[in-house]
Amino acid sequence: MPPKSRFTRLDAFTKTVEDARIRTTSGGIVTIISVIVVLYLAWGEWSDYRRIVIHPELIVDKGRGERMEIHMNVTFPKLPCELLTLDVMDVSGEQQHGVLHGVKKVRLQPASQGGRVIDISALALHDAKDEATHLDPSYCGSCYSAPAPSTASKPGCCNTCDEVREAYAQASWAFGRGEGVEQCQREHYAEKLDEQRHEGCRIEGAIRVNKVIGNFHFAPGRSFSNGNMHVHDLKNYWDSPVRHSFEHEIHQLRFGPQLPADVGQKHAKSSPWTNHHLNPLDEVKQTTDDPNFNFMYFLKVVPTAYLPLSSSKTSGNDRTTDENVWLGSLGSGFDGSMETHQYSVTSHKRSLNGGDDAAEGHQERMHARGGIPGVFFSYDISPMKVINREERAKTFSGFLTGLCAVLGGTLTVAAAVDRGVYEGATRLKKLQSKNL
Amino acid sequence: MMEGYNEKSHFDDEPAPGNFVRAFDAFPKAKPQYVTRTSGGGKWTVAILFVSAILFWSELARWWQGEEDHTFSVEKGVGHSMQINLDIVVRMACKDLHVNVQDAAGDRILAASRLQEDATLWSHWVDGKGVHKLGHDSQGRTDTGEGWHDEGFGEAHIHDIVALGRKKARWAKTRRLPRGVPADSCRIYGSLDLNRVQGDFHITARGHGYQEMFADHLDHNAFNFSHVVSELSFGPYYPSLVNPLDRTINVADAHFHKFQYFMSVVPTIYTVAGGSASTKSIFTNQYAVTEQSKEVGERMVPGLFFKYDIEPILLTVEERRDGILTFLIKVVNVLSGVLVAGHWGFTLSEWLREAIGRRRRSGRSEGVIGAKTGYDE
Repeated sequence: MPPKSRFTRLDAFTKTVEDARIRTTSGGIVTIISVIVVLYLAWGEWSDYRRIVIHPELIVDKGRGERMEIHMNVTFPKLPCELLTLDVMDVSGEQQHGVLHGVKKVRLQPASQGGRVIDISALALHDAKDEATHLDPSYCGSCYSAPAPSTASKPGCCNTCDEVREAYAQASWAFGRGEGVEQCQREHYAEKLDEQRHEGCRIEGAIRVNKVIGNFHFAPGRSFSNGNMHVHDLKNYWDSPVRHSFEHEIHQLRFGPQLPADVGQKHAKSSPWTNHHLNPLDEVKQTTDDPNFNFMYFLKVVPTAYLPLSSSKTSGNDRTTDENVWLGSLGSGFDGSMETHQYSVTSHKRSLNGGDDAAEGHQERMHARGGIPGVFFSYDISPMKVINREERAKTFSGFLTGLCAVLGGTLTVAAAVDRGVYEGATRLKKLQSKNL
Repeated sequence: MMEGYNEKSHFDDEPAPGNFVRAFDAFPKAKPQYVTRTSGGGKWTVAILFVSAILFWSELARWWQGEEDHTFSVEKGVGHSMQINLDIVVRMACKDLHVNVQDAAGDRILAASRLQEDATLWSHWVDGKGVHKLGHDSQGRTDTGEGWHDEGFGEAHIHDIVALGRKKARWAKTRRLPRGVPADSCRIYGSLDLNRVQGDFHITARGHGYQEMFADHLDHNAFNFSHVVSELSFGPYYPSLVNPLDRTINVADAHFHKFQYFMSVVPTIYTVAGGSASTKSIFTNQYAVTEQSKEVGERMVPGLFFKYDIEPILLTVEERRDGILTFLIKVVNVLSGVLVAGHWGFTLSEWLREAIGRRRRSGRSEGVIGAKTGYDE
C-alpha cells in the first residue's frame, strides 16, 4: 500500500477490501444487462446531440425599404405571347407596365402539336429585331396623329410598328391589327399575329419589386394608364378567329430564393396542414374555355429567414439588400443563410358576366360583373417574420451531462437491483436450509 | 478465507457457466459477515424510499399531464373558402334586415339565404345568464370576455378541447314566442361559406345601403341595431370553443347607429400528439377583435359590420407527452440521484456522530485534532 497521502482522508469512494467481497451470477447478469442499457442510452444521447432541429422564431420584420423578387414560371396554353402582357403595380405608386427585366416569353406550339418550344425572347420592351433597317436614314414614319413615344429610336417619329403601337397605347387608343398602318403592313404585323393565334406562351423569369402591398397580373393586350385607370387594349384578344382563354398552369411561383430541398425533410414535425418552404401555388392548374374569365389569387407573403448551422449567430438582418445584386441572387447569403418569403394563398375565379356560384353549390355567392380577363395576383406583406434557425438539439456540455446522468443513473439503479436480488437470494437460501 | 469459500460453494447452484458470468459482476457485494446493519441506516433507507416515492409520483404526474407546444408556420395548399358560424339577435323585425357579405374577391354573398331567421323576443336573450356587455377595462381596451373560459377552458387542456370538438354541433332552438306577444327581435343563426379573403359581413336595414329595385324605404324609427352575439366563429363549428365575441351584448342608443367589429382571424390547430391527424386534432380559427361603434348621420348606413381579415400565419397548439423510454430514463436518474444522495447523507451523518461522540469522550483532554487523527486510523 502506498504511503497515506493527505487525500486519503477525503476518499469518498471507500472500497471494501478484496477479501471481503463476493461475486455472484445474478450480479454478473445484472452487470451485463446494465452495460447494454448504458450503451443503448448513450447512443441515444449521442444521436440526440448530433440531431439538427429547426427552431422557428417569430419576430416583427424590422427591415426598411427592402425589395423582393418574384420568380414565376407560368404557362398559358391558349394565349399567344404577342397578346400577353405582364404588369406590376404596388401601393407605393410604382407602376411598371409591361415590365420585364429578367422575364422571358417562351412561344409554345399548340398542345395538339406537342407544345414544344418555338422561340424564346427576353422580354425587353423594345428589341431591335423588328427594326426596319432597310429604310432611308431620313425616313420619319407617321404616328397617325398620336404623339410619338418618348422611347422612339428617332425623336418625333414612329419608324416601326412597335413604335406606332406604343404611341397608340400612350394616347389610350386601341390599336387592333394595324390595318392601314404602313409600318405594320411592312412588318406583316397582322399576318404574324394570325400566325401565332394557335400558340401558347410561357412566362418565366423574375421581377424585383418593392416589398409593399401590390399586385401583378397577366392580361391580354397592351396596357396603358389613362388617368387613374389602368387599361388594357383587348381588341386583338376578343376579335380573334381562335378562342383564347386564360387557362394556365403555374409551374412555380415564389418570392425570393428557393430553399434547398433537404431543409423540408430536416424539419422534424410534418403536419398535414403545413409544409415548410414549399410554394403552395406550384403545379396549380386551372382550366377554362371561356375567354371572359378572371382568375384571382390572394397571397399573403410572410418574410422568412433561414439560418443554417454554419451561419453566424447574428439575427440575420445583414443580408445582401444591395440594389445591384444580380436578379435571382437577392437574399442568398454567402454562408448558406437565406432571406426569402413563404406565402399562403386563396384562389378565386369568376366569369366577367357575373352570375353566381351555383355550379359549386354556393347559390348565394354573387360574383362581381365586368373587369378584364386575366390572371391576377395580389399580394400582401405580413408584418411578422419567421426565422428558421438550425440548431443542435443539445450543446456539447449538455451531451456530457446527459451521458453522465445516464451512466450514473443506470449503474446506481443496477447496483440497487443487484443488492436486492442478492439479499433476496440469501434470505431464500436461509429459509430453505431451515426447512431442510 | 475459509468462511468465504464455504459461503460461495453453498451459494452457487449453477455450475460452470455461472462462473463465467460471475466474472462480470461489477457490483461486488461484501460478504454477509462483514456487513453491519444499524438503526441509523434503516432510518435513512426509509427516508430515501419516502423521498423517491414522492419524486417518482411528481415525475409521473408531470409526464402524464404532458406539455404544450406552440408552433407556427405558413399554411400550405390553396385555400378557397372558410366557414363562418354565427348566432346573432338583432332588435328588429326579420323582414327589415338584410344580411350580406362583400369581400375582396368582389363577390357579394347573399348570406340571408343560407342562414336561419327566427322571430324572437329581445327579453328572451338579454336576461339569459352569461350575457354581458362588451365593456372596456381601465386602460380603455375592449374587454373581450376572456375571463369566461375559466371553467377548465384554459389552453392547458387541449385534449379536452379536442375531445369536445368531436361532439356533434347543433344550434340551440329558439324559444317559442308566448301567445299573443308580437316578436320584436330577429335571431339570425347558421353557418355559411365565405371566400377565404378579407371581407365584410354586415347586417343592414332594408332600403339602406343597397340599391334595390323593390325594397321600400324603411321608417327610420324602426331602426334599432342593439344586438346580442351568442356565437361568432370561423371555421368548422365547435360550440365548445369560446371566442371573444361570444355572449356579448351591445345596445344602440340611437336609431342611426353603426357597430363595427374588426377581426383578425388566425388559423389554429389544436393537436394531441400520438394519434392520426383526423381524430386527434381540430382545425379552427381564433380571432382578435376590436370594436368601434358610433352614432352616424342620416347619410351613412347604420348597421352591424363584421370586417374580417385572415392572418397568414397558422398557429399549432400541440399537447405532447414524452416517450415512455424518456420517462423511464428520467425516473431512473431521479431514483439513482436520491440513492446516491441518501448514501452520502448516511455516511456523513455517521461520521458526524462518530466525531461528536469522540470529542465528547476525549473532549476535556485532547481536543478536536486528536480525535480526527484517531478517526483516520
